[in-house]
Amino acid sequence: MSTLILVLFLLLGTYFVAVIEEWSVTGRLRPAGPVRAALRLLGTESVLARKPDRLFFEVAPVLLLVAAILSLAIIPLAPGLIVTDLATGALFFNAALAYVLVALIMGGWGPDGAYAMIGGWRFLGQLIGYAMLVVMPITAVAMRSESLSTVVIVQSQEQLWNILYQPLGFVLFALAGMAMAFVPPFDLPTGAGDLAGGVEAEYTGVRRLVFRLGRMVLILSVASAMTVFYLGGWLGPVLPGWAWSAIKILVVTALMLAAGRALPRVREASFLAWCWKLGIPLALVNIFLVGVLVLVVPL
Amino acid sequence: MSALQQYGILFALTLGSIGFVLSLYALARAIGRNRAEPGKDVPATAGSLSRDPVWVRYHARFGGYALLFLAFDMEMAFMYPWSVVYRQEGLVALLDMGVFLAILFLGLLYGWSQGALRRQ
Repeated sequence: MSTLILVLFLLLGTYFVAVIEEWSVTGRLRPAGPVRAALRLLGTESVLARKPDRLFFEVAPVLLLVAAILSLAIIPLAPGLIVTDLATGALFFNAALAYVLVALIMGGWGPDGAYAMIGGWRFLGQLIGYAMLVVMPITAVAMRSESLSTVVIVQSQEQLWNILYQPLGFVLFALAGMAMAFVPPFDLPTGAGDLAGGVEAEYTGVRRLVFRLGRMVLILSVASAMTVFYLGGWLGPVLPGWAWSAIKILVVTALMLAAGRALPRVREASFLAWCWKLGIPLALVNIFLVGVLVLVVPL
Repeated sequence: MSALQQYGILFALTLGSIGFVLSLYALARAIGRNRAEPGKDVPATAGSLSRDPVWVRYHARFGGYALLFLAFDMEMAFMYPWSVVYRQEGLVALLDMGVFLAILFLGLLYGWSQGALRRQ
């Protein structure tokens, strides 16, 4: 039963993320949009580039999708409604999403095309900026919950959500998460205007469909992680737990993509500078502040 | 559920996802094959054929950041277990990690002063 609900969550979640994503690009809400796009891509020829690195080219979209789905496995939607309640859940989330970088580099290298290549390498630079800002705030979350299990992390927010307990960590994690899911304004690897699609440029047809699907699941996963780590997961009055999870995840996704709609794309160099000159000192301050809070106010 | 079973589920999830992708590929193949046409398989390069392969040396201009990243990434390996037992250990844990992080932070400041945080 719960397996069915989780599969349904994955399908519906991906569908809604795709609808919101289309809105963030075109400004129109079209409920049939994702279905139409998927059917169209399924019917399009999937061209193989002239001299590809076949292995990298084929593996990249699959790896992106698998990594994103695996990272969703540790997200609890309600008490007991989780694929695997790993004792190291928060760490596993990072470990799974580390493969996003690998997938994009492989996808960039594979087709032997200039735009794809630049997109892939750009994302390597982007990772050096965001990676520490994903893991450091999660450490501060674990300090409060005394566990890396995502279920315990949600339970630790019973009295006060982490967004209020450690707002600094939330801001850093949200921005770094957006960079990890390469949504605008951090969409350097796929940069629509300046790279003609970047890593996505050489993917057509069904391969592109898998790539886009992986990206949607990735956005869903990052939004779910924000909900679980900072917004109290399934906690909330009146409505059942799974409903609160769904509402929060959808709202976070919509806010994430709406922010990208309003902001100009960040350059790789300035992204790195902001991350290391401001972000990491702030993340250390966040760990220290939470450390003091945990000892002084045992909440 | 034992840890081994949990990893078994994750492995099954991986295989299931790959199976899903393969069945999508099979479906696409059942709908139609590619038609071989000249020039269609050339990677996009501003409307012209790309003469040279692009698998060339790429100047990574974030070398300084990358070195600092390695130092901080190693530090995270210690911070996860530390954060779990933090509340039990109390003030001692805060001071221990405080000294460690202060040294790392000094490293960051030193790197900054030497121009590591710059696009080379």
